[in-house]
Amino acid sequence: MAINFREKVYILDGAMGTMLQRSGMSADETSTHFGQNNPHILKDIHKQYIDAGADIIYAATFGINRYKMDELDVTLEEAVKVAMKAAGEARAEAAEDGRDVKVALGLGPIGELLEPMGTLSFEDAYETFAQVIRAAVKAGDADLVVIETMTDLYEVKAAVLAVKENSDLPVMVSMTFEQNERTFTGVSLEAMAVTLEGLGVDAMGINCSLGPVEILPMAQKLRRLTSLPVFAKPNAGLPDPATGAYDITCDQFVAKMGEYIDVGINMLGGCCGTDPEYIKGLTAVRDGSAEASCKGQFGEEPCASDEPNAIAARSLKVCSGNKTVNVDHVTVIGERINPTGKKRLKQALLDEDYDYILSQAIEQIDAGAEVLDVNVGVPSLDDVKMLPKVVKKLQAITDLPLQIDSSNPAAIEAALRVYNGKAIVNSVNGEEKVMDAILPIVKKYGAAVVGLTLDENGIPATAEGRFALAERILDKAIEYGIPKEDVIIDCLTLTVSAQQKEAAETLKAVKMVKEKLGIKTALGVSNISFGLPARILVNRTFLTLAMENGLDLPIINPNDEDMMASIFAYNVLKNVDENAVKYIDRYAEAEIGTVQNSGPKGSASPAGGESALCESGTHDIFYCIEKGIKGDTVAAVEALLKENDEMAVVNEYLIPALDRVGKGFEKGTIFLPQMLQAAGAAQAGFEIIKDRLAAGDKEVVSLGEVVIATVKGDIHDIGKNIVKVIMENYGYKMIDLGRDVPKEDIVKVVKERDIKLVGLSALMTTTLKSMEETIEAIKEVAPDCRVMVGGAVLTADYAAEIGADHYCKDAMKSVEAAQEVFNG
Amino acid sequence: MMNLQITRSIDRKAWLTALHAKGAADSRLSDQMDEAERLLKEAARPKAVYRLVGIDAILNKSKSIAKHLEGCDKAALMAVTLGAGVDQLLRKTQVTDMAMAVIVDSGASILIEQLAEDFEEVIEAGPFTTPRFSPGYGDWPITEQTRIVRMLDAQRQIGLNVTKDSLLIPRKSITAVIGISDHPVKGSLATCEQCILKDKCELRKEGKYCGDKL
Repeated sequence: MAINFREKVYILDGAMGTMLQRSGMSADETSTHFGQNNPHILKDIHKQYIDAGADIIYAATFGINRYKMDELDVTLEEAVKVAMKAAGEARAEAAEDGRDVKVALGLGPIGELLEPMGTLSFEDAYETFAQVIRAAVKAGDADLVVIETMTDLYEVKAAVLAVKENSDLPVMVSMTFEQNERTFTGVSLEAMAVTLEGLGVDAMGINCSLGPVEILPMAQKLRRLTSLPVFAKPNAGLPDPATGAYDITCDQFVAKMGEYIDVGINMLGGCCGTDPEYIKGLTAVRDGSAEASCKGQFGEEPCASDEPNAIAARSLKVCSGNKTVNVDHVTVIGERINPTGKKRLKQALLDEDYDYILSQAIEQIDAGAEVLDVNVGVPSLDDVKMLPKVVKKLQAITDLPLQIDSSNPAAIEAALRVYNGKAIVNSVNGEEKVMDAILPIVKKYGAAVVGLTLDENGIPATAEGRFALAERILDKAIEYGIPKEDVIIDCLTLTVSAQQKEAAETLKAVKMVKEKLGIKTALGVSNISFGLPARILVNRTFLTLAMENGLDLPIINPNDEDMMASIFAYNVLKNVDENAVKYIDRYAEAEIGTVQNSGPKGSASPAGGESALCESGTHDIFYCIEKGIKGDTVAAVEALLKENDEMAVVNEYLIPALDRVGKGFEKGTIFLPQMLQAAGAAQAGFEIIKDRLAAGDKEVVSLGEVVIATVKGDIHDIGKNIVKVIMENYGYKMIDLGRDVPKEDIVKVVKERDIKLVGLSALMTTTLKSMEETIEAIKEVAPDCRVMVGGAVLTADYAAEIGADHYCKDAMKSVEAAQEVFNG
Repeated sequence: MMNLQITRSIDRKAWLTALHAKGAADSRLSDQMDEAERLLKEAARPKAVYRLVGIDAILNKSKSIAKHLEGCDKAALMAVTLGAGVDQLLRKTQVTDMAMAVIVDSGASILIEQLAEDFEEVIEAGPFTTPRFSPGYGDWPITEQTRIVRMLDAQRQIGLNVTKDSLLIPRKSITAVIGISDHPVKGSLATCEQCILKDKCELRKEGKYCGDKL
């Protein structure tokens, strides 16, 4: 069933919706519904496109999925069969005329958005596509699958995996871009190319939204970003906003499309507004084009391009859905999300305190990390569950590509599966068993991989020994089909105070890998100085030496400004940072000594510049918290801790300070943003306390566990999050179940953890019903559990009517409710 | 489909009211609002789409919408969105700085109202039009979001989606209908008396009305 997508210029079909409208579909009927009820019309349209010259036709399955069952009068399986059959029959009739036409199963966006934008989980999206694919395989009419009109790379990934795991069909993917060369969700051409090549699709392209004039430069760019065949299906121009009429003629469309063949785009069709006339025109252009006869080269060497090396030299790129990092410069991997030796992070992982984990990410991003390493290695923790969870949380708040750090193949696979983009896997080593377990996973999900130069015999002492292992890892990776440029070698930093000779061996090995293998290198750096005084001096000197020997990816703590400074200075000296622009921007106002950068520019510091206002240099904690000054609150807490134990600071200072703010809020002298600032400052103080407790292996004493959630059907969560922040400050352990939470999930946690208080939020009248049902379900299994509710449309009366125990008009009221429940 | 320009700054009075700040900002809050506005302008890619339809396509059992469109023969369906970037900004600020998150969230709500107002001017609807009327007003059910988004093909046109519970994503988006007539029409927006928020509304306490132009 293989199709050689490179061998010629293929003609694709034109619009289906446009043709259905001409066949009598009414304005508020969907294409899916109309097509299902008129399969003969579908078949006729397919035939018209085949007669016009189409080599590949898309079956009318674009809008069929389990979230759009209201558009169907039959089962999903039946609907897929009907649409596939219409296309299959058209193909069969063409075959009688000696035409070799292929039928594609068309998959479009599900219509429900995936997390984090929407509420659909990745797993659910996968299953939604898989269902359609299985139905098509059963119907038996599909020669290939086309995933089209996509705007979310994450949804594309779910669809591609669904195709690969449920069929043997080739798969083409096209996404829809705006004129700024991004999709609505912010995906760039580069991120698309990098991710889809990794996932092993057969061709990629652009369809819909714009006309051939606007898409041409993007298609050309995509042509240079991938060595796969590229296809394009533009609309019939740009629509007039009032009438919807397209602004170019069929002749103009066809003429423009000729240029696509010239630049090596070898599959052409049309999207909205095009019809068989357009396709006929394309066929004529193809047949008359000299380039079109250039066989067997598309994607490998665009035969008609002006530039002989049109495809950019392949180099290591990693990406998230919205951001691509091209590793053509020293690229910092932030190492902080790793619980080894960090008690506070370990505790946060055990408590599933994601806010703390995310704050560790944001700190590193602000400090200049370009990739974040993610390691959840706590012995008692199930990393197969936890690693993908943390990955999902991280990608909801940052664009930075991630490095999945684990030695457990199952955890690596679970994390790579839900990762949006192309990640790095850290790591494999030269041991056959390890490579055989992990490299196939790296290949399947299209990741890059770090290879450590060690094996079952340990770390070779010499550079030559480590180089030999690097070669072994690279050969094996290539054997598994992983592109050479996606292999990164870590020549391993050893502690210089213990093995002094080997520091030079590490550097030499880096140089050998770089020069002889031509691939990228990584190194964890700070290990070098273990056991020595003034470690930073050794660290940054070693880092500088390593960069000079070819280190591309230092794995460091980016919050350590001395290390970052070495990199910025290195980039000036190596003429990477032209005119020292970045260096000057970062250090123009820095003072020598321990390096600090000039601080973020152009932003009002949330902590304000009010530090000096604190009474006579002493940090009055009440003042600091009321004014929401984080830095000084921290200083005040540290000062208090010299004379008080942790819980005394909490009970005698932090909580009373918050109470004072809370009273001001009740009276209306303090507004919500001010109260939240105060809470933010108090939280910074609590962090110091938590760090201290964790360091002393003491747990934070919780006043009680409270479950909080936005009810099913509602996705407004800012109110819920405000309550969470305030209640955490008061010492309650908040179990945040998120938004759109089914009552079953809440009941489950209430039962499992014997919860005494649940907070529910709903913003809309339509979701109050859901709130009522949730309360009922909680009361049924746990009659003693109290429920507090809040949300814009609620009133005290209504709260009582639906069975809530407490109506909280604001966050302070929820603290009062908790005090009543837990203190009696 | 149209890309919209943000030509007006976010109305500070409305913003302060939304923050329950009693119409006055200290210098810090005012700095933070400036910063929030900068972040919003950076994150937003506002887009809008509209389509003229006969009113039969809109009317259903709702009395409110029938009353609003009284005397109209056509209507303009419209949808406006700030785009997915603002959603991401909101997710991030809720982790880093809850106070800022609240300021950004309410600022975004006002910004999308302002853009919807501006877009009304762009729509070439005709000599006489009613004000905007959105699903969820009066007895016009919020489930109509789904139908409007579908009729406007707004998912393809401007990246606007509806959840199965009829909520719009990106979050800061508006769908609405404007009645069009050949003679002057006023429409009929819901009154405060009919509003579920009547006892809590900060605007109403100040003697104002949410339907007033920003």
